[in-house]
Amino acid sequence: MKDILLFSHPTFGVLAILAAVWAFVEALNAGEANHRRLWLASLAVAGFFVLAWIFGGWYYVAYYPTDKAIILNGPVPWAHSFFMETKEHLFFIPLILALYLPLVARLNVAVNRPARAMVLAVTALIVLNGLALEGAGAIISWGAKTALAQSAQVQANPTSDRGAH
Amino acid sequence: MTEQLRRQQASDARAGSDRIAAAFGAATAITVVFNVVLAFFKEAYEPLNRVMAQLTGHHWITHGLADILVFVVLGWLFAAGGIPSRGLSQGLVITVAAATVIAGAALAVWFALV
Repeated sequence: MKDILLFSHPTFGVLAILAAVWAFVEALNAGEANHRRLWLASLAVAGFFVLAWIFGGWYYVAYYPTDKAIILNGPVPWAHSFFMETKEHLFFIPLILALYLPLVARLNVAVNRPARAMVLAVTALIVLNGLALEGAGAIISWGAKTALAQSAQVQANPTSDRGAH
Repeated sequence: MTEQLRRQQASDARAGSDRIAAAFGAATAITVVFNVVLAFFKEAYEPLNRVMAQLTGHHWITHGLADILVFVVLGWLFAAGGIPSRGLSQGLVITVAAATVIAGAALAVWFALV
């Protein structure tokens, strides 16, 4: 279960980013023909972001405390103290943007210029925030991996420089 | 503009969709800032963190639910009150974008320093 949660979180995050790119392109080419597609894309963004929230949140609350201890005892504690701390709070910003998106995407963006601008701005911000979150997630995983690698190295060779400390 | 698009635009206005989008746009900008301010207070004032953890079992769950609550309640109140009075505007787009960029940068700076 733990691994399913761990992999589901970034997977739905990436799907939300892709859906936001889709919505951005539909808004760029807004017209009568693609109004329904834009609406569907905006719902996909919101849905995928909520799923990323649920799966990531579940993992964070239930399992991350162990990872946190490992990272903080490893060679790159800032993978938690900076990247995870920022990520866990930054996540709510694109989540709110994703929940807002369908409310504005349902308007006729082909003729409503502020609505079109809002859809373009919101989707672009979701993509940029989403990419930052994915990158932070990779660094956090690297922080845990590096800590475990160091621990394994010490166990394999306790008289090495690392082991002597 | 085709007749169908005109009808759609008129329909949006009648249904108040534009007003709702503007209201929740303003709520989005405020919620984004609220999220960051709550994060700062929570990190700086441990009793608040503890109370938030007690409410739902984890401070982060309470934080997320508080954000959603602020977003929904403000959006609903703004829609009922006709706020912002100009409706959906370019200014509101800039406000939402600026709030998002500044809030994200503030979070990064905060956690880089503390």
